[in-house]
Amino acid sequence: MSAILEVKDLSKRFGGLTATRNVSFSLEPGELTGILGPNGAGKTTLFNLLTGFIAADTGSVLFEGQELRGLAPHKIVNRGVARTFQLTRPFLGMTVLENVVVACLSPRARDAHDKEARAQELLDHVGLGSKAREPVETLPYGDLRRLEIARALATKPNLLLLDEPFAGLGSSEIEPLAQLIKRLHREQKLTILLIEHKLREFMALVSRVIAIDFGEIIAIAPPSEIVRNPRVIEAYIGKTEAAHASA
Amino acid sequence: MKQLSIVDLSGAIAVVALLALAPVLLNSNYFTGVLTVCVIYAIWAASWDFMSGLTGRENFGHSLFIGAGAYTAGFLATVWYANPWYSLPTAVVVAVAFSLIVGFPTLRLRGPYFALAMLSASAIMQRLCLIFWEYSGGEEGLYGLDPLIQSPLHYYWFVLAVLVAAVAILTALAQSHWGLLLRAIRGDEATCQAAGINVTFYKIASLTISAAFAGLGGALYAHYQLQVSPPLFSVVVSITVIIMVYVGGIGSIYGPALGAIMLTLLTELLRSFGEYRLWVYTLTLMLILFFLPNGLIAPLWRRLTERFR
Amino acid sequence: MLEILIYGAVSSAIYAMLAVGFTLIFGVARILNLAHGAFYALGAYAAYVFTSLLHWPLFIAAPLAVLSVALFGVLMERFLVRPLRYSQLAVLMITLSVSLAVEQGLFITFGSEYRNVPSFVAEKVSIGGVDIGGQRLLALIAGVLVLLLLWLFIQRTRLGAAILAVSQDPEAAQYMGIPTNRIFSVVMAISAGTAALAGVLVSPFLTVQPTMGLLPMVKAFAIVIVGGLGSIPGSILAALLLGYSETIVAYLISSSWTELVSLVAVVITLMIKPSGLLGRRAAF
Repeated sequence: MSAILEVKDLSKRFGGLTATRNVSFSLEPGELTGILGPNGAGKTTLFNLLTGFIAADTGSVLFEGQELRGLAPHKIVNRGVARTFQLTRPFLGMTVLENVVVACLSPRARDAHDKEARAQELLDHVGLGSKAREPVETLPYGDLRRLEIARALATKPNLLLLDEPFAGLGSSEIEPLAQLIKRLHREQKLTILLIEHKLREFMALVSRVIAIDFGEIIAIAPPSEIVRNPRVIEAYIGKTEAAHASA
Repeated sequence: MKQLSIVDLSGAIAVVALLALAPVLLNSNYFTGVLTVCVIYAIWAASWDFMSGLTGRENFGHSLFIGAGAYTAGFLATVWYANPWYSLPTAVVVAVAFSLIVGFPTLRLRGPYFALAMLSASAIMQRLCLIFWEYSGGEEGLYGLDPLIQSPLHYYWFVLAVLVAAVAILTALAQSHWGLLLRAIRGDEATCQAAGINVTFYKIASLTISAAFAGLGGALYAHYQLQVSPPLFSVVVSITVIIMVYVGGIGSIYGPALGAIMLTLLTELLRSFGEYRLWVYTLTLMLILFFLPNGLIAPLWRRLTERFR
Repeated sequence: MLEILIYGAVSSAIYAMLAVGFTLIFGVARILNLAHGAFYALGAYAAYVFTSLLHWPLFIAAPLAVLSVALFGVLMERFLVRPLRYSQLAVLMITLSVSLAVEQGLFITFGSEYRNVPSFVAEKVSIGGVDIGGQRLLALIAGVLVLLLLWLFIQRTRLGAAILAVSQDPEAAQYMGIPTNRIFSVVMAISAGTAALAGVLVSPFLTVQPTMGLLPMVKAFAIVIVGGLGSIPGSILAALLLGYSETIVAYLISSSWTELVSLVAVVITLMIKPSGLLGRRAAF
């Protein structure tokens, strides 16, 4: 089977700083892959490059065989690549339902005639159905993450990019969210790429890990192997979360 | 989306009926004229609010569209001697063209470019009117437009009908999915893009709608004054409109329209202030910014009618 | 040819003084100050009051005019802008209303007729066969000097370093113990002061009149956009570019067309390189 996403030699410099250097990897359809790296390693920059929020200097991003580089962010979404943000960004002053309706207005969701019904369906799907009519300001952090995912799903993605979905969540919120991601992956055959800097959440969730440091890929391997990779240990585990990794 | 409530609808009918009957009851041509200006300002305020109030992109040069519409009417009448009714559609087309020229390069960008460009464009247009006086009539402007409707009272009713239509259309749009999108854009453009929304398209489209109504109002004003002059392009006109929107309650469409009517009437009462008038306006704006950031009329209406909903 | 060179330099210097102040307060405090043109007008009127009405000697009148406008700017920032900083729109509105209030205030106090300010330097200087008013030359020299001093101040002093730090990352600067609010006051004083100085310098050879601030401010916007929002060297470069283009257009075609130069420059910049000549990025 051919790759759904093929990234080749992607590079980006900010002034004198190299944020991303010659990043190449590919994703198979239906794969659940993680990007691992310490804070400041360039994970979010990589997401921004893939989704068109930042223009790459060189390289290419082929999605389903078509070049994404150079397209505006909304056009990339309309090719079938959706993303969430690390900091959740709800539309304030609207209800939870309205927040999802906005995303249901994107061109890819055109075939859903009743946008409200479609939005409600998506909210049910991520477990927020009962809170549809509430002002979005009342949602706790964990629910905002679900809202972000519902909004991303509204655009009917073939590839879903999740930027640190577990950041800032308490341990009681992490497990249900991980279950949701697994379920989406299983039921909808979604290809998912997710960023995380805590190893523990990775182990049970993803089948493959792309480890990056200083904007470069240092290893690609299944999670069980990645923890034994000397470069990963040096760049990352040695620094902060040795305890977590060995646990 | 939101349904128009009975309370809002009856309130609207009452206000429109009052406005329609006021000149008959007072039976004074002077007062009919004042009300005509009130209603035209209301069209300008509502049209400003549709773009800037909903998307949060500040338009500091609405007078660009107003002046463009008015001068279009002026040129048609004094250079081509066209039927005055052609003014209205032509003014709309010209104002929309101006909105595309300014909107296309600036609304793609984040940051204050749009605000600066609108302010600059209107100031430069005013200046160009003075510089190219051979064509524009310079300081004096263009004279001798024909009225659209001879009777001042009938013309007032026509302008009022245009206002009602404008507010109805803009409110319907603001409460539709389109309006929801514009409010989402005000909230967070990046998130809208991540939802696959072409943010630039919606911003430019809403600016053209705003400009269309402003230009229409400009032509109506030209055919009321029967002349046009460079101050129509001035920053003072733009800021007056913005103050009216603020008093009315930004983002509510009907609030700004009522704010315009209220402030224009107030201006008439303040006539004795003469040249201090604009000072009073400026002071009003400062007070509102500090003490009533959500405006006066729309929040008041919501408070009053809360219990009937 | 030499004429273009000299006159272009004079208008560039005036534009640069206006644009640098405007871009400085934006770059440091993120205040888009629509009252910037009012500072320029106030400077010119202060010069008029102190010299024409009160007959004070120049070396007192000019600095006093600049200082009083700088104080006005600081008070405006402190009491009108700072409480509204939570909203970009409110800041724009309040500075615009200050600018209108100033314009109206000048109109009510002095009327709309043009006011004359006596030349500070009466002599004409002849450079290579071109006669140039001493006043214009003074404006040029003072402009260059002020910009040079400002550059030295920012590059060489502790306060200047603090200003740079705040402009690059206000939050980090605050954590490092830099009192950002005080910095804003200082920058506002500099910004208003340079605008006022420009007003003082041009008052003898341009018309002094209540609405005189608007167009120069519009030019300053254009320069700042062309040069890149927040970039001081960019503003100076763009001021030179615009000052000379206008002078050349005035000589080759007609002075009527000069007003269009800035508009065209802005449109081209936004189409091709929105971040401006030396700007870091288009958005903020």
